[in-house]
Amino acid sequence: MNQLTAIMQRELRHELRSRRSWLAILLYIFSVVYITYLAFQHDLEPTTWNALFWILIIFISMFAASGSFAGRESEMLYIYTLVSPRKFIMARLIYNGLFMLLVSIAAFMAYSLFVGNPVGSILVFFSTLLLAVWGISSLLTMAFAIAIKGGGGFALMAIISFPLLVPLLITAQHLSSLSMQIEPTGYMGNMAALLSLDALIAALCYLLFPYLWRD
Amino acid sequence: MTQGILKAKWWKIACVLLLVHTVIAGFLTAVPAKPILHETIRNLYFHVCMWFSMMFIFTVSLVYSIKYLMDPKEESDIIASECANTGLVFGMLGLVTGMLWLRYTWGETGRDWWAPDPKLNGALIALLSYFAYIVLRMSIDDEQKKARVAAVYNIFAYVMMIVFVMIYPRLGNVDSLHPGNGGNPGFNQYDLDNQMRMVFYPAVLGWVMLSVWIASINIRLEKINRYNHNKI
Repeated sequence: MNQLTAIMQRELRHELRSRRSWLAILLYIFSVVYITYLAFQHDLEPTTWNALFWILIIFISMFAASGSFAGRESEMLYIYTLVSPRKFIMARLIYNGLFMLLVSIAAFMAYSLFVGNPVGSILVFFSTLLLAVWGISSLLTMAFAIAIKGGGGFALMAIISFPLLVPLLITAQHLSSLSMQIEPTGYMGNMAALLSLDALIAALCYLLFPYLWRD
Repeated sequence: MTQGILKAKWWKIACVLLLVHTVIAGFLTAVPAKPILHETIRNLYFHVCMWFSMMFIFTVSLVYSIKYLMDPKEESDIIASECANTGLVFGMLGLVTGMLWLRYTWGETGRDWWAPDPKLNGALIALLSYFAYIVLRMSIDDEQKKARVAAVYNIFAYVMMIVFVMIYPRLGNVDSLHPGNGGNPGFNQYDLDNQMRMVFYPAVLGWVMLSVWIASINIRLEKINRYNHNKI
């Protein structure tokens, strides 16, 4: 437990120190949202709003995931000697999940500011966002760990993670389209599916990450 | 043991005989005259078998990836990667035969090449993730590192593919056009009469055997390649 919090603190300190990456992510969110605003000018059907929102979330979270890992290979040598791979990946998953959640809430705020907000049930929408973003960030964490081993950065990560992201995305998209109604019904099953997807991805990361640890 | 069976001739002869039977009986025997389907129902002997073979050979690939992670032997890696390559070929053939079939049965006849169907999307996701597997393999030079990273990705991709196929049709708003899902009666209930079964089951067996045969040749080729490479 101590090790977990220590790794997370380390990550947080690193993140806060490099203000450049924060600014880069905020700017990225602003740019992509602003482009959709320019293209659609407010008259978006809820279905289109929904589709666009999740496409933006993929791009933003891929960008955020690559940013939070870049240039860290050298200090990994130091971490190898301190913690076990399973502890490390757990801390990483929790930290990245929280980080990505903040990023996606910022994206949602910017998106509703410029493009509008047809969400009827905030509760259902935010639980969907929470669960989906958690799963996306775990999957991207693993994909990025694989991509780093592959010697390719962002491009390789995008290629290998995209097909795996699809189950998460379509479930999330379906749920958030339900949340456009004021009192949505019949979402519990899908919510459970999303939750079990998250659990499955976390379990796969936990089981498989040690094989990516060191060379 | 598996080595001995793979080198044996009897099952290859059986495979050829089964496939000859599939083609001849598939095109010549009588089929039930169904509305819309008509003679295209014969595609069952080809299209469906491609998916069976693909899933079979991808599963073999998965098993050897797990084996590699537990006990890193070069052979397991060769089998895993060559099975994935072979599975991709069968997957692409399955997609093409399916697209031809849907062109004449679903949607406006002779116009659409694609339909909003969970199984089509699932198949495409499977193909995309295995193409990504190949790209990943190509981008790593070190053989051992390549084998380990690819094995990890293979397991991840396979599990997500199965989950996709399981979850997507249950999402309420999507009904499959394929038989057996979303109110469509399955072939097995009453569509598939006994005469078709006599062709269909041997066809499945034949195509699966062919996929194993192709994979085993690929594996031997890759072994020879690596042997030559190491000698130089």
